[in-house]
Amino acid sequence: MCALSLGTPNVPPHRLAGAVLEGDTTFAGIVVTELRVPRLVLALIAGACLGAAGLVLQEALRNPLAVPEMLGVSSGAALGVAAPLVLTLSLPAAVQPVLALGGAALGGGLTLLAAGLGRSPSAVLLTGAAVAAALQAALLVLMVMADQLDLQLIYRYLLGSLSARTWDDVSGLWPWLLVAAPALVLCAPVLSVMRLGDEDAAALGVRAQRARLAALAIAVVLIAPVTAVCGPVAWVGFLAPHLARWFDPAAGAVRWLPWSAAWGAVVVTVADVPARLALAPVETPAGAWTALLGVPAGIALMRSGRRGRTTGRGSAASGATRVPHGPGALTSGAAEEASRTAPSRSARRDESGAEVAGDASSPPVRATGTEDVR
Amino acid sequence: MSRRFAVLAALAVVCAGVELVAGRGMSPGVVWGVLGGGGDATERHILWQLRLPRLLVALGAGACLAVAGLVLQSALRNPLAGPEVTGVTPGAVLGAVTATALGFAGWDSPLAVVLAACLGGCAGAALLWLLAGRGGGDPAQTAVHGVLVSAVLGGLTAMVLLVEPGELGSVVQWLVGTTEGRVWQHWHLLWPWALAWGAVAWLLAGPLTLLRCGDDIALAAGLSARRARTLALLCAVALTAGAVAAVGALGFVGLLVPHLAVSVFGADLRASLPGAALLGAVVVCGADAAAQLSSRLLAQTLDSGRLTLPVGALTACLGAALLLVVVRRTPSRTF
Repeated sequence: MCALSLGTPNVPPHRLAGAVLEGDTTFAGIVVTELRVPRLVLALIAGACLGAAGLVLQEALRNPLAVPEMLGVSSGAALGVAAPLVLTLSLPAAVQPVLALGGAALGGGLTLLAAGLGRSPSAVLLTGAAVAAALQAALLVLMVMADQLDLQLIYRYLLGSLSARTWDDVSGLWPWLLVAAPALVLCAPVLSVMRLGDEDAAALGVRAQRARLAALAIAVVLIAPVTAVCGPVAWVGFLAPHLARWFDPAAGAVRWLPWSAAWGAVVVTVADVPARLALAPVETPAGAWTALLGVPAGIALMRSGRRGRTTGRGSAASGATRVPHGPGALTSGAAEEASRTAPSRSARRDESGAEVAGDASSPPVRATGTEDVR
Repeated sequence: MSRRFAVLAALAVVCAGVELVAGRGMSPGVVWGVLGGGGDATERHILWQLRLPRLLVALGAGACLAVAGLVLQSALRNPLAGPEVTGVTPGAVLGAVTATALGFAGWDSPLAVVLAACLGGCAGAALLWLLAGRGGGDPAQTAVHGVLVSAVLGGLTAMVLLVEPGELGSVVQWLVGTTEGRVWQHWHLLWPWALAWGAVAWLLAGPLTLLRCGDDIALAAGLSARRARTLALLCAVALTAGAVAAVGALGFVGLLVPHLAVSVFGADLRASLPGAALLGAVVVCGADAAAQLSSRLLAQTLDSGRLTLPVGALTACLGAALLLVVVRRTPSRTF
């Protein structure tokens, strides 16, 4: 609602409906239908894609920090889009997502290749950070070569900005979504099995390595078109899944997926409001806001959500537990915090944490519980 | 061991020589003449006022970054820790950019920029400290938090740059890391700082070697692991801040040179710390020379005089490739 009514000109909420109906006749109507509505739709779609992609990656790698930014996926996609911009190659708009796709696959593949698929979270994270840095450096070199005028445009894009997006941009996204949505639905059950660790997943007939590659592919397909249109809106893929988990810690990956997408949409839409208004008349990119607010919020959620929640294997050898030593592992500092949080909430967590992480609809998961495998 | 140092020192001299003649507009013969006291005023100015400080800054910054990286990797016991993931580098960038945007410092006054970068770097480190320090100093956590802190600071930098779009062009080079246009003032600010903290790092070499073996062994040997780690982190942060203030966010040097140093000089830090310093200096200096040469080549082929490759671009590209090798080689249980 805010996204539609605030800004210049201000359209009060009660006049919105009228403005949309009169469409092309009044000034306010044109602003709303041609600029704000597509922007809102785009924000929702982009957020949903990023949120879902983030959850897929996090679950597949059993790593709460496996987000597009950290795996070099976002940087790669941005590189794919920015390169022709700088080198002044004029390309049809339809090619852009393909380029972004290539770049994203390159970045993510590079990181996973380097880090290995089953490494610990911090290894993947640090490698990803390094790969992302290398790609960023390549981008910056491109920017050094660019014209001053292009520079700002590119920079804004690189942060993820929804400014001046119209219906054309939105319509370009549909075919990609049609590809990605069924794939998502198909991979959700597999994801909930993946959480048990590779051995258990293999026992249930899931090839862990292949599943991870597939998850990466799905994430790339989700992220690349969004990046092509509005740049890599930072850290949504990190925040949204954690929000989803925080609100419903007992659910499995299947339940989290839609929620994660929904939260992603909400986050981007909300971030776009200050992006438009905070430093008016200058528009700040939404990505900057999501980075600023999303990372601290995500960390806080991660810390509170992990407490007392272990996967079915409890404190088994690393690799089987979800996070051997990510932030929020029960160190002294976290324990202090634990004692400060509301008792009711942590108690509820503990009950849910005792459950095997997998959704209730897959009884075999329960059967391969804790002891017999070990 | 001493032979290895000698070889490295010779390498450093060679790189320095190449660096001096690599720039545009002066043939090696002319440079030699100027060094011997000849040449006209312009040539003398170019050599003494521009190239020499540039060379020294490259050497100093490289040494700083490499030592900082080695100290970090030893203290956190994580082969993938580097100055990039401590929040110091983005913090320093943010400080410099903010100072420029607010008009406190112009790019023409190195002192103000360097100070702002140092402040920013320390602020970034402090932020990391607040986040991770309470977690009992667990190494893996510290690294993870460092990455996240870096992300937040990067977002802030972006904000500042978008509010002050005029600065963008001049800052971009600096975001990659460059030795363009460094003058004596930069060097005068860098060397005392580097020397002081380098000495601290040298004193820490023994405790750090113990820390590399793990906290239990360090404790058994009578070393307070947490205190030593705190000191080491402080030292690494200071060195990084100095280097970043001098040359910008030069990537991958602090991450990868330590691996080289350890493989050449062994794991005893009393030998490999100075080795890392030398290696870092050689690497940055060589990369800078290579960047200048390739810039010239590019300018000839593309027929445009504007294009200069920043040295950071080169180190990043090399670094990414090397990184893959390093990560593949380290067994996964070390993380």
